[in-house]
Amino acid sequence: MKVGLKQKLAVSIACLFAAGMAYADADLDKAMKDPSNWAAQAGDNQNHRYSTLKQINAGNVNKLQVAWTFSTGVLRGHEGSPLVIGDMMYIHSAFPNNVFAVDLNTQEIVWKHTPKQDDAVIAQMCCDTVNRGLAYGDGKVFLQRADSVLEALDAKTGKVVWSVVNGDPKLGAVNTNAPHVFGDKVITGISGGEWGVRGYITAYDIKTGKQVWRGYSTGPDDEMLMDPEKTMTWTDGKLAPVGKDSSLKTWQGDQWKIGGGTTWGWYSYDKDLNLLYYGSGNPSTWNPAQRPGDNKWSMSIWARDLDTGKVKWIYQMTPHDEWDYDGVNEMILADINVKGKPTKALVHFDRNGFGYTLDRTNGALLVAEKYDPAVNWATHVDMKTGRPEVVAKYSTQHNGPDVNSKGICPAALGSKDQQPAAFDPKTGLFYVPTNHVCMDYEPYEVDYTAGQPYVGATLAMYPAPNSHGGMGNFIAWDAGKGKIVWSKPEKFSVWSGALTTAGDVVFYGTLEGYLKAVSLKDGKELWKFKTPSGIIGNVFTYEHKGKQYVGVYSGIGGWAGIGMAAGLEKDSEGLGAVGGYRDLQKYTNLGGSLTVFAIP
Amino acid sequence: MKRYLVPLLAIGTIVAALPATALSDDNKKPLYTVVDGDKVDAHTYEGFKTWRAAACARCHGANQEGMVGPSLIDSLKVLTYEEFKTTVLEGRLEKGMPNWSTNKKVVENLDALYAYLKGRSDGKITKARVHRMDKDK
Repeated sequence: MKVGLKQKLAVSIACLFAAGMAYADADLDKAMKDPSNWAAQAGDNQNHRYSTLKQINAGNVNKLQVAWTFSTGVLRGHEGSPLVIGDMMYIHSAFPNNVFAVDLNTQEIVWKHTPKQDDAVIAQMCCDTVNRGLAYGDGKVFLQRADSVLEALDAKTGKVVWSVVNGDPKLGAVNTNAPHVFGDKVITGISGGEWGVRGYITAYDIKTGKQVWRGYSTGPDDEMLMDPEKTMTWTDGKLAPVGKDSSLKTWQGDQWKIGGGTTWGWYSYDKDLNLLYYGSGNPSTWNPAQRPGDNKWSMSIWARDLDTGKVKWIYQMTPHDEWDYDGVNEMILADINVKGKPTKALVHFDRNGFGYTLDRTNGALLVAEKYDPAVNWATHVDMKTGRPEVVAKYSTQHNGPDVNSKGICPAALGSKDQQPAAFDPKTGLFYVPTNHVCMDYEPYEVDYTAGQPYVGATLAMYPAPNSHGGMGNFIAWDAGKGKIVWSKPEKFSVWSGALTTAGDVVFYGTLEGYLKAVSLKDGKELWKFKTPSGIIGNVFTYEHKGKQYVGVYSGIGGWAGIGMAAGLEKDSEGLGAVGGYRDLQKYTNLGGSLTVFAIP
Repeated sequence: MKRYLVPLLAIGTIVAALPATALSDDNKKPLYTVVDGDKVDAHTYEGFKTWRAAACARCHGANQEGMVGPSLIDSLKVLTYEEFKTTVLEGRLEKGMPNWSTNKKVVENLDALYAYLKGRSDGKITKARVHRMDKDK
């Protein structure tokens, strides 16, 4: 059927009206289009973490020098990155989540926001008091506080325009994720899988903070906003409707009510499809014997309609998790060749060690391959069923409670955790910060008490055996083929979000505190600089008065630091901090700060 | 007010086979008994189970070596039993130590938890993962 220009126009206009509300935030759209800004945590809605700026490039990156620095005044782990909108930079800190608006012309603090939060929240946070940053839209800066309060601040004055309570921290429902602005909505998730929180994702109206919809990860269809007939999933080599009670059927009794599936990662949005993408985390508890069934829809990739929250398609990566392989890592939306065919792809590097490529329009599974050769808990993903083939030896379900299953790769913190990868449209490759860590895992019986930890396993983590001895790799990945293109070993886990640029350079930080620039082509190190503390933040770039800058938070902490601590520690050496963590302490110390670089 | 350990037979391999028993202040109630470094009496084992159930390792490390929270190997060399109790029951909220007074298991097994951690801190319980001495592994 041929469609004339007029008809096309009419269709476009109709679409505009149909999706009218979703397109409302022209302010953010405009800001994101201008590469001199860093207007969203990933720089865009697709999680590319790519900038078209190229003043700093492979030829001159070795001349980078510090332009200015800023202390957040907070010691613990600093994830995420600042935002840049025009002349203003918005900087956030770990708990108590202070926000600073800094004038880029003078580096003066224009306003600061210092939320008063109950100290009791600190202990309710599973893996350090991190916060993954702010969002911008509609002239407001959005802060998702640890105590679950979502605040909209006037970008010019810092005054609270609206605030809303997103969860109950007394039950362990706290927040570490960055809120995301898509269209006229602020999207935010929830943490607390280790407290038996039932995960959900919520859309709030950008103008008023009024809740538009909330979709749970587990439970009855209506509460998940799932349509048994229309919500599709990959089954038996094709897409099929999920059917009635697709979650309830996979839990024993009421366990889904404390079943986890929290949503603390990065979200993405395809404007043309009007779909929101994100992942759900581990089922609670970590003792799999206590929760028979597939535990749907924990550990899943979700595609929801932005306006209604209705689930368009869903895919569970790790049915009946036995290793804490949260599925929350970012979904990168890229148009690439998959097995030679141009595809609207969704690319996801899961904690479970598989790199997944799906057709983001419908949820078809296209590629699922290991992105770390050390991965051993499953031999492969069956492309027909979409399920991993689990190796009995590494199955903590098979071995049972009170048995220490040894040598499982990856460790619970995954081949990659929340630290986001970057996409480069020129090479068509993905640049992925990874962990190269394995574990021993002993599950045990645990009782649920509201507001108390509900963990049920002890872990010991250590560098992947029979490898290079380090705990990380920085890799380039071909998501169309499911192949590692190059891999650069690192001493510690790479827990910093990568940044690709049109200058043919990819940047990332290390736990020792180095910001590194490497060649997109082969991973060759072009430049590095030692920042004040270990880096678990994400690299970002912006342009001000015609000059390109690159920046990153340093401030060691998060589960990376924790992982190191649990790392090399063997039972027999258990009397004091020896091994990995002490090793890391040789290189770095606590302290949140921002370092910004430029070519002089 | 000093605690001490008996027996203090530091004679090579023999010591491993002999139970190390720590006594409380009044010199009557044993705090913990351990053989071969990782087999403990039933009371101390309850302490280990409480440690696990409350997920203390989350902050204090799988081997009590310290992570986000301090090393309990070190802390229990310094804290008195009273100070230990206060810290657990009231917490140190600003540092991230929860108030455990609402957790029944922790409250009811505070002595056992202390016994287990003290044994670890004393270096007599040599492995964090212990077993009951009256049961096979």
